[in-house]
Amino acid sequence: MTTNAPAMGVATGSHDTVKKNYLEISKGFWSWAGTLDHKRIGIMYLIGVSLALLAGGVFAMLVRLHLWKSTGVLFDNATYNQIFTLHGVFMVFIFIIPAIPGSLGNMVLPLMLGAKDVALPRLNLLSFYLWLSGTCLALYAIVAGGFDTGWTFYAPYSIYTNQAVVSVGLGIFLLGFSSIFTGLNFIVTTHKLRAPGLTWFRMPLFVWAIYATAILQVLATPVLGITVLLVAFERLYHIGIFDPRLGGDPVLFEHFFWFYSHPAVYIMVLPAFGIISDLISVHSRKPLFGYKLIAFSSIAIAMISFLVWGHHMFTSGQSSYAMFAFSFLTFFVGIPTAIKEFSWVATVWKGSIALNSPMLYTLSFLIIFAIGGLTGVILGALNVDIHLHDTYFVVAHFHYVMMGSIALAFFAGVHHWWPKMFGVMYSEFYAKIACALIFVGFNATFIPQFIMGSRGMPRRYATYVPEFEGFHQASTIGALVIGTGVALMVGNLVLSIFTGKKAMQNEWGGVTLEWLSPTPPPLENFYEQPIVTTEVYDYTTLDLRTTQTPCS
Amino acid sequence: MISYLLQDPAKPVHAMAEGVDQYGQLTKLASTFSHVDNLFYFTYVVCIFFFVLITGVLFYSVVKYRRKTFDQPAVSNRTHNTPLEVVWTVVPLIIVMVMFAWGWKGSLDMTVVPADARQYKALAKQWNWTFFYPNDAVPSSGELWLEVNKPAAFTLESSDVLHAFYMPSMRVKRDVVPGRFQTVWFQPTTEGEFHLFCAEYCGKDHSQMYAKVHVVSADVYRTRPWDTWDDKNPKKGGENLYKSLCASCHTINGTKLTGPTWKDLWGKQEQVVEAGQIKTVTVDEAYVIESIRKPDQKKVVGFEKANMTAFDDKVIDEKRVKGIIEYMKSLSNAGSEKK
Ligand code: HEC
Ligand SMILES: [Cu+2]
Ligand SMILES: [Cu+2]
Repeated sequence: MTTNAPAMGVATGSHDTVKKNYLEISKGFWSWAGTLDHKRIGIMYLIGVSLALLAGGVFAMLVRLHLWKSTGVLFDNATYNQIFTLHGVFMVFIFIIPAIPGSLGNMVLPLMLGAKDVALPRLNLLSFYLWLSGTCLALYAIVAGGFDTGWTFYAPYSIYTNQAVVSVGLGIFLLGFSSIFTGLNFIVTTHKLRAPGLTWFRMPLFVWAIYATAILQVLATPVLGITVLLVAFERLYHIGIFDPRLGGDPVLFEHFFWFYSHPAVYIMVLPAFGIISDLISVHSRKPLFGYKLIAFSSIAIAMISFLVWGHHMFTSGQSSYAMFAFSFLTFFVGIPTAIKEFSWVATVWKGSIALNSPMLYTLSFLIIFAIGGLTGVILGALNVDIHLHDTYFVVAHFHYVMMGSIALAFFAGVHHWWPKMFGVMYSEFYAKIACALIFVGFNATFIPQFIMGSRGMPRRYATYVPEFEGFHQASTIGALVIGTGVALMVGNLVLSIFTGKKAMQNEWGGVTLEWLSPTPPPLENFYEQPIVTTEVYDYTTLDLRTTQTPCS
Repeated sequence: MISYLLQDPAKPVHAMAEGVDQYGQLTKLASTFSHVDNLFYFTYVVCIFFFVLITGVLFYSVVKYRRKTFDQPAVSNRTHNTPLEVVWTVVPLIIVMVMFAWGWKGSLDMTVVPADARQYKALAKQWNWTFFYPNDAVPSSGELWLEVNKPAAFTLESSDVLHAFYMPSMRVKRDVVPGRFQTVWFQPTTEGEFHLFCAEYCGKDHSQMYAKVHVVSADVYRTRPWDTWDDKNPKKGGENLYKSLCASCHTINGTKLTGPTWKDLWGKQEQVVEAGQIKTVTVDEAYVIESIRKPDQKKVVGFEKANMTAFDDKVIDEKRVKGIIEYMKSLSNAGSEKK
């Protein structure tokens, strides 16, 4: 995209000395805690969700270490149940759902739109504090006795168990509102604050993805909020909605829960798709193959995803007609997803491929997501799912999607926009090693789980039959490798803030608007309003003077 | 926590003879539901095909079109290829529709119970399974006997939370929902011992909610192997009942699980809470019977928060309770011998 703004070339000259970037413009605790700047809020989210990821990761390591032996190594059953629940709750509600929209979405979306900020900056800050309060309530629940319901909170167990379910429930309620407000904010921002000339079909796909996600967040999350509230009421006042002893229906809970939690899968994964679409294009220096199809398929997925929740309940005894519809739609929603994967691969084809660390994460995503998606097809078949449901096969499948794909896309995005965020570059060497460790460790962890699962290893087991011990041990070793990789990645990134070399304005040679703003951006992002005159991802207009575009 | 490892909980021993099928991916099939395996391997092959295709193109491109100079542009900027896009939309669509129809057909087979099926009942409780046999007063817990080549249908009942009846080698799974009756059926085709797991998370000992399923010949089945009761040796019968129904919470070696140990329990002066009052009672016949029938009546001090499942006389009748008591006596110094 070209623009007539003068400061978009090599960022030298008077502006640099006159205007300070957003990191330097003010100092002190309150300048961050009370900030309305989308970039600072994005950084706060980034720190927050990263800590949540590390906490969730520690719980995951504990789970894996415990399962080294079939009798369990570290904990008694009750403690194990709490640990895997914590892992799930932290990873799903506190890390993955807010991770990409909260951190990278906040950081990059307004920049990509050529806007000064999001449309509703105060609401944005409120979202962050709701996230923080929700997280604190979950932490409080740990101290107040813990909770052992699994992240799914299935009734009636969640109603009978004598643990701190109400406080986590309220925590999730707040996290839900945080998510809704973020979604609202991004919808309004995308509608109202696009730069002149930035038509809908000139928007980067990351923006499309965040927009589709926002729709889901606004429409689906209230159902989750109501459901956890109902569980809390049921516990406190014994109304009889889900508790069969009072005439309630536990299956109703499952319906409510998955009515949210299936779309939530797409709340988590669509932003990842957005990152990958963008990064593939930049690092292949080639316009995205099937841009419109990808944009529309995001919206299509968002819509259909409301109608497939029943595939989580194929063994719950729903009617055959319901099974028919849910299985059919589940296969159907696979198609737009497949189209995306094919389009990404077609983008790499005949590109100019730079094998830098964001691209390595992106390629890892493509491979892992292929496995995650394809094993989803296996699970969609009704009779096969009856065998595989609630086994490690499902665990492996959704980790391929949630951890292997979404978290990797998040890492890809963080590495890609890191120079823009902080104005420094990390060590590419260590970033690549970390990526390789994570990729190898990830597959070593979860391929054995696929095998165990298809042989009948049920999930959420503190102890298990001895014939699975070998697979569990392989999986644990894999997890240790992932842990090492993540530690290296985090260390490398954090260290770069202090010792990294200065980043170029357009480190990778991107042509979306965020690369036209100075690095790191000033408070209001651009010195002058950018105006878009060219089509999206048009690399013929790339100004090579602003970029270093390493070859590898 | 760590001490948990060192004790010897009398947990069900899982000695298994299931094995895996010839491709090494699934447990060996032991029921008539072969359509599950067929569709599984069909999708598996399709998945491998697409996976190889995707990664193949990816690796080839990365090697071939690697950026070698700083300003190298893409070889092609093409963003559309209508025939290609139609192919990669329509072909997968056709394939998944085949999978859908196949899976749907299979799942219908799994819901229609054949008329000659034997009707069992499986009662799921935190955290054990009790099975009731058709026209037979004696149930069994933690173990189940079925006749080979005879369709078996189960009515599933839960007395507390969600559970799921899962037998990997039979390819069946069904949630057990409190307040609803669910059914599941299958026809075992191989004699041997098989796992029955609880597949729906149900609380603390979810992973130990296990039953061993014996598929036996018609001749063996006719001997009612689940009825281990022998009037001449009630103590032995009591021990068996202990192993199948009580061992998940009570030990006989002095360590605590969910419930107090039975070592030296008989004749002991026990501190209990009844209606909020602390009392001392002697562990005698009346107390043990009450503990089995109405465990909440008197709660042992130190275990007020723990819950024991109540067992009515359909599960453990009078003479069997006596058998348990005989067994309990043998575990305490007051009793004659030690087991
Ligand atoms: C789900 C776990 C569980 C199972 C299974 C279980 N119990 Fe218990 N049992 C407990 C708990 C907890 C207590 C202590 C609380 C109470 O008194 O209710 C207890 C207490 C008892 C007591 C009183 C012990 C004392 O120290 O005074 C007796 C007797 C007893 N159980 C018998 C049995 C028998 C017989 C069975 C098997 C048929 C059985 N229990 C199965 C959990 C269990
Ligand atoms: Cu789903
Ligand atoms: Cu269970």
